[in-house]
Amino acid sequence: MNAKANKNHVTSIEPAYYQAITEAIRKEAAKILKDETVVGVVGYLPGRRKGTASPALVTTVEEAEKLIFSPACVNNLSVYLTKAKKGVLKQGKVGIVAKGCDMRALAGLMTESQLQREDLFIIGVVCPGVYGFGVERTGTLTDANIARKCRECTVHMPEGADVAAGTHTELADLTPEEAQELARIEAMPQAERWAFWKEHFSRCIRCMACRQVCPFCYCEQCLCDKNRPQAVENSPRPAGNMAWHLVRAMHLAGRCGGCAECERVCPMDIPLNLLNRRMAQELKELYDFEAGLTPVDKGPLNEYKENDDQSFIK
Amino acid sequence: MHGEHIKHDFEPKIVAFVCTWCTYAGADLAGTSRMQYPPNVRVLKFPCTGRIDPVFILRAFQKGADGVLVSGCHPGDCHYMAGNFHARRRFAAFRALLDFVGVDLNRLQFSWVSAAEGGKWVDVVTELTERVRAMGPMPEFKELEHEEQWSTFAEATVDKSGAINTPELKEAYDSIG
Repeated sequence: MNAKANKNHVTSIEPAYYQAITEAIRKEAAKILKDETVVGVVGYLPGRRKGTASPALVTTVEEAEKLIFSPACVNNLSVYLTKAKKGVLKQGKVGIVAKGCDMRALAGLMTESQLQREDLFIIGVVCPGVYGFGVERTGTLTDANIARKCRECTVHMPEGADVAAGTHTELADLTPEEAQELARIEAMPQAERWAFWKEHFSRCIRCMACRQVCPFCYCEQCLCDKNRPQAVENSPRPAGNMAWHLVRAMHLAGRCGGCAECERVCPMDIPLNLLNRRMAQELKELYDFEAGLTPVDKGPLNEYKENDDQSFIK
Repeated sequence: MHGEHIKHDFEPKIVAFVCTWCTYAGADLAGTSRMQYPPNVRVLKFPCTGRIDPVFILRAFQKGADGVLVSGCHPGDCHYMAGNFHARRRFAAFRALLDFVGVDLNRLQFSWVSAAEGGKWVDVVTELTERVRAMGPMPEFKELEHEEQWSTFAEATVDKSGAINTPELKEAYDSIG
């Protein structure tokens, strides 16, 4: 570990820091695969191009030695446990490499009984941040190339994981871009807000990448795919787009862990996480709910109190 | 016996999503008691306010409603024990979302009307109708419904008569013919 990393706040995070996490992940993954604690580990393997990583399910010790963690490990792997690799959970306990934001998704999925804690071995990563999109993917992570969500990260420490890899390090003096943007939109007059979102949503091509990548969009049949009766028009036209994004935001309200994967995968650069953030903020204000690292009994929209605010109801 | 019929310039379309156990019975009571209220409201009956999905409200706006009313049993009176408690939280969140994307919340009214409150039903409907009438038609969602993805492109390249008016496209079009 270099001298800088011993301090909590640094101006850039060197590759050595990620290398240390990589070593820890490899060691742990090899160990749990060897003693057959788990049947497989969901983690990251190096991508074909430099500065990339791709998610993978590794099942042997040899493969586990190739696992990595770098700022290019942007994906939220929990989506593999509700969708693509859902079947693997039937074979036994699964290891998963999780950053703080991914762990919030795991906790949410446990809340909704989609996962069981005892079926998982969570290798938590003490994550200082990952690359944003469209940035230079060089060795060090700095203010210039960190992802927007990481600027306001509150879950650097993956508390509640089975093991944690890395030591606590954060970048200093990051601008909270997302919070600023949110405040800017909220301060707009109503007509301008409508124009802002209308412009963004009318670019949507309805590729449904936001849905595919979301760990919480695990319904077998999506409401928005149904016709007869059709709830949301499913061709990429402005009317259906607006409805789709409102329905998406509504269905994620009180569940979203804030991994911002929807925004990352959006090919049309629609700031989807702003909607999620706004809903999270509202539920915090109204019902004092925040997505956390540990599962809860019920989400805020699945429970109620008799004295909930009803000032808006006549 | 009949109230004075006033001719207005604009008659708003109001869609009311009501629960069958309370508000529907309340509206029925208003009717059987011969109470007068604006005929602008279209009542849609649901088992419970808990069944009323925010999608319904969006759809109503898209298909031409100028105002939406959601009404059900008072808290604690739900036929299904807790449907309206859940609905209350959901709609509180949904209101915030609509506000965030720039929809005027004055067009959306929530109320509790019990089976005995025919008078309250009349008040709620009258107030909402008059408020929406004063606000005028709701253009936002209806405009979206008629827009196409390429509309900005089309505006730039096609004039009002539908003819292509950029030289590049014209050339391409001519080369096909």
